This record gives sequence, C-alpha cells and structure tokens, in this order.
Amino acid sequence: MLRYFLLSRLLRVFIVFFIIVLLNFLLPRAMPGDPASILANEYNLPADTVRILRSMWKLDRPLYEQFFAYLESLFTGQWGYSYKYYPRTVYELVMERLPWTLLLQGITSLTVSGLGIIMGILAGWRRGSKVDVSITVSAIVVYAIPYYWLALMLQYVFGYILKVFPVAHAVTPGLPHANFFEYALDTLWHLALPVTAVTLTAYASYTLVTRNSMVDVLEEDFIFVAKAKGLPERVVMKHAIRNALLPPLTMLAIRLGHIVGGAVITETVFSYPGVGYLIYESIIYKDYPVLNAAFFMLAITVIAANFAADLLYAVVDPRIRYVKRG
Amino acid sequence: MSSIRREIYYVLIANKFGLVGFSIILAFALVAVFADHLAPYDPYEIVAPPYTPPNERFLLGTNDIGQDILSEFVYGARVSLYVGLTAPFIASLIGTMLGLVAGYLGGVVDEVVTGTVDVMLALPTLPLIIILAAYIGPSLNNIVLVLAFFGWSGFARIVRAQVLSLRERPYVEAARAVGASGFRIMVKHILPHVIPLIIANMVLSATSAILTEAGLSFLGLGDPIAKSWGQILRRAQVGHAFHQGLWLWVFVPGMGIALLGAGFTLLGIAIEERVNPRLRFSRK
Repeated sequence: MLRYFLLSRLLRVFIVFFIIVLLNFLLPRAMPGDPASILANEYNLPADTVRILRSMWKLDRPLYEQFFAYLESLFTGQWGYSYKYYPRTVYELVMERLPWTLLLQGITSLTVSGLGIIMGILAGWRRGSKVDVSITVSAIVVYAIPYYWLALMLQYVFGYILKVFPVAHAVTPGLPHANFFEYALDTLWHLALPVTAVTLTAYASYTLVTRNSMVDVLEEDFIFVAKAKGLPERVVMKHAIRNALLPPLTMLAIRLGHIVGGAVITETVFSYPGVGYLIYESIIYKDYPVLNAAFFMLAITVIAANFAADLLYAVVDPRIRYVKRG
Repeated sequence: MSSIRREIYYVLIANKFGLVGFSIILAFALVAVFADHLAPYDPYEIVAPPYTPPNERFLLGTNDIGQDILSEFVYGARVSLYVGLTAPFIASLIGTMLGLVAGYLGGVVDEVVTGTVDVMLALPTLPLIIILAAYIGPSLNNIVLVLAFFGWSGFARIVRAQVLSLRERPYVEAARAVGASGFRIMVKHILPHVIPLIIANMVLSATSAILTEAGLSFLGLGDPIAKSWGQILRRAQVGHAFHQGLWLWVFVPGMGIALLGAGFTLLGIAIEERVNPRLRFSRK
C-alpha cells in the first residue's frame, strides 16, 4: 500500500512538472509570430540576426525536435543570454537574484505562518468567544486587502512622511559597508516594509484554516475523553494542536515550493532585486530565456515541495497510507 | 418558495456576517449600476490639469493625465464586480459538471478527473496566471477565462466528495431501482443537494478573483481600456502619486478592493455556515 501511495504521488509530481515545462514551451510558440520575430519587432533586429536566432532555437524544425532541444538546454543549464541584460547569462542573473528572494520569502514564510497559526489556534480553542470573533473577523477583512496596496500605504507613511524606512532596493545603493554587521543591518532595514506588508495581509489564510481545523479536532472523541479524564486544559490543548496542525503545515510546505518564483508583486513594488522582479521585467521586455529559466526552477521546487507535503502527510497521519487516495 | 425565503432570512438577516457582507456587495452593486449617474465626470475625459490636488470639484483630485480619480473609482466597481461574479461562475459550472460525473460514475472517469484536479491544485497559480495573461493578451474576458481555468478544480473536488456520499443514500438507490437513468439521478436527485455548497464556494472564490484581477492590472497585465481599481493603483504608482502628495489616489481604490473582497468573504462564510453547520460560531 505504501508503495502504491508513493508511486501514484511520484507520477503526479512528474505530471505537474511536465505541464509547467510544456506550458512554458508552448505559450510563446502559440502566439502570433515566433519568439524570434517578436524579438525582432521589440529590438529592431536585422534579418540576419533573426535567421540565426531561428536556427539556434530550431524554430525551423518540427515541434517535437524543438521540444527536445528545449528540454536539453533546460536540464544542462545552458540557459543562454538575457536579452535585456545582454551580454550577461541567464544563469548568472538568476543566481544573483535567488539569494535575495530566498531571504525575503524565507522570512515572510516564517512570520506569516507563525502569526497565522497562533491566531488560528487561539480562535479555534475559544470557539464562539469574543476572542474567536475578533480574530476571525479581522482575518477576513485582512484577507481581502491587496498586499501591494498595503505596501504602497506603508511606503507613504514610513517612507515619504516619516522617512524612517527605505521604499526600494535591498541595500542602500552605493553605500560602502564597513563590516558584515553593518551590511546585515542595512539589509534588515530594507526588509522591514516588504516583510510587514506581506505578513499583515497573508497571515489571514493560515488563521482561517487553522481555526477550522482546531474546531474540527476539538469535536473528536479523543478530546472528549481527555477532558473527561480530567486532564489539565494545557495538556488537552497540546493534544488538539498536534492534530490540528496538519492543514496549515501542508499550506506552508506548498508555499515553500513556490518561493523561488519570488513574490512578483511585492518585489516589483519595492524594486527588490529578487527573482520575482526579474520575472516581471522579463515579461515586460519579453526576455524569454530568463522566463524559461525562472519557470524551470519554479517547476522543480514546486514538485519537490508537493512531494514533501505528501510525505509529511503520510508520516504524520498513518491513515492516509492505507487508503487508495488521500 | 417559503423554504428559500427562510434560507435567505437565515443567511442574510439572522447572520451578522451575511448581513454585513451582503450590504457591502449591494452598495458596490448600486454604485456599479448607476455609475453613469454617480460619477461626476466621464472617467476617460481629461477634465483638469494633471495632478490636481483634491478640491470640491475633484474630490479625489486628478491623475497623471488629468482624468477625475473619483469617476475612475466609481466605474472601477463595474470591473471588479464583473470579474468577481463571472470567473467563479464559469469555474463552478466546469467544476460541478466534472465533479458530478466523476463522483457518480467512478472508475476510470473518476481517476482521470481526480488526477487532473490534483495536478491543477499543485500548479503555482499566480505565476502561471501572470504568464498566461501576458501571452494571451490583456482583455478583461481573457482574464476571466484564465481565472476560471485555474479555479474549477476546487469546485470539482468539493462536488465529487459530496456526490460520493449522496450516491449511497437510500433515496438514490430507490430512484435507481425504479429505473431512473444515471443522468436523471445526477441532475434531479443529487445536484440539488450540492448546489448550496457550490454557491458558498462561488461567493468565497469571488474574493480571490477580484484580488487577482486587481493584481494583474496593477502589474500592467490587465485590460488597458477597462478602468479597474488595480489599473488606478498602477497609474498612481507609475505616476508617483506619493511624490505629489496625492495619497487618496492610492488609498481609495485599495479600500474598494479590500471592502468588496471582505463583503464576498463574509457572505460566503455566512452561506457556508448555513450549509455546513459544523463551522458555526456559537457553541452547540
């Protein structure tokens, strides 16, 4: 049974991976004109260059040959040159941006899930109380706030009026840092607004999921028994939390899979030099090699995270291993 | 008829969430319907010098090309409501059909549908929506279709789970015993019991549709002709509203998105509580 479970999940992650890669391959080719001619229009390329590009990308070959060439270049890391940042290679660009995205997204994943889960536990534990209603209502309102809007308002208040936090970039441009400590401090200072904006708007979905999960668990027989045995509230709560954490943790695992894609809108608002901003730029400038590479990385981490989430489920909840489908 | 009236009473009047949510939606719906009368100016017309600060003639000021921001905001309600209503509706149609068939027929059909749903739910939606919107061209209806394409899987999953349990009920068995066709059982006997759940989820997913459309417009990937709230925010960002001190230009459209989104979520939760009493706020 366990082997069936693992095999079916593996099959699924490969399909997901294949679809993302395939979409990435088909979309530019399904558009009127091929990538080379779109580029020619965009950058006023001479006809010779277009011809060279066509043969380089095998655009004159049958579709399946193009697809294999495309796969080969993806897997061998031959991602080519960026159009916008020529002559820099795509690999160089992506690797330069990746640490910033991992930093921003890593921190926000922690703050968002931490705050969200704690609020959700409190609300679910005191279901129907004032605490529950105020946490849930505020989560509902906050859930609908566009985070880029909150980011803009924070920029206005703390950046333009109070002038206490920077509104763009990841470090102060052109400022020489005396030592690592100063550099780290400057980085954190720049992270303040983006992290706050994302945390204050994204925590809500974790809260709502955790609350409902807590409410479900608290109605189960084992909680009833634990209370009947006279266990202290703290212990009952611990039992409940252990069982209620699965849904929010799965959300977190899946979120982690998406982090190399960067937070496209957040990074754009703050001109933060991460992968998300890179994706945005490459869409605007039709920088296909960069887009391809970014989505390839995203596809890999997404399937890894989904698989990890499935394993997490199977480890934490043995029931899942023994039914055909989760 | 009276039972429907009773349901409406429980969801919209007796439930505070439902009452508040519905009032918010209704208010914006009125603004959208009567936009022609409410907006002081034509939102496309250049009525004043660019960056006019708020005054009694232009309550929110004018944008970077001199259009009245309040009029833009009023017309923006139309776009958000349109997206919030149509995208979840199309998604629910597709999802319900597939979920119904998969749950009732089972077997290979079920395997294929469930497998597809699993795959859809695992895709990184926002980056894919962004790239799709960038490629297929920014028209409002294209965006609605893209949102529906990424939204149906949730409906299919919910409906299928529901059908699996309904299928085994004695009354369905009885219908089968007297020779009702599979189609008839699905449509006449099972579907009516699933519809309340579908409505709840349709209303709930309106919020994310509205947010995603606004996000796309904000990135400049939305319909450049439609005056949406995300579009106003984009102009404000590109036009350096804050440098001009025009903070209302940013504040008001964002509040519109947040309020309307919260309205749909509140109403959705109210319906869901009615449909699925396990989630109810009061203790039993």
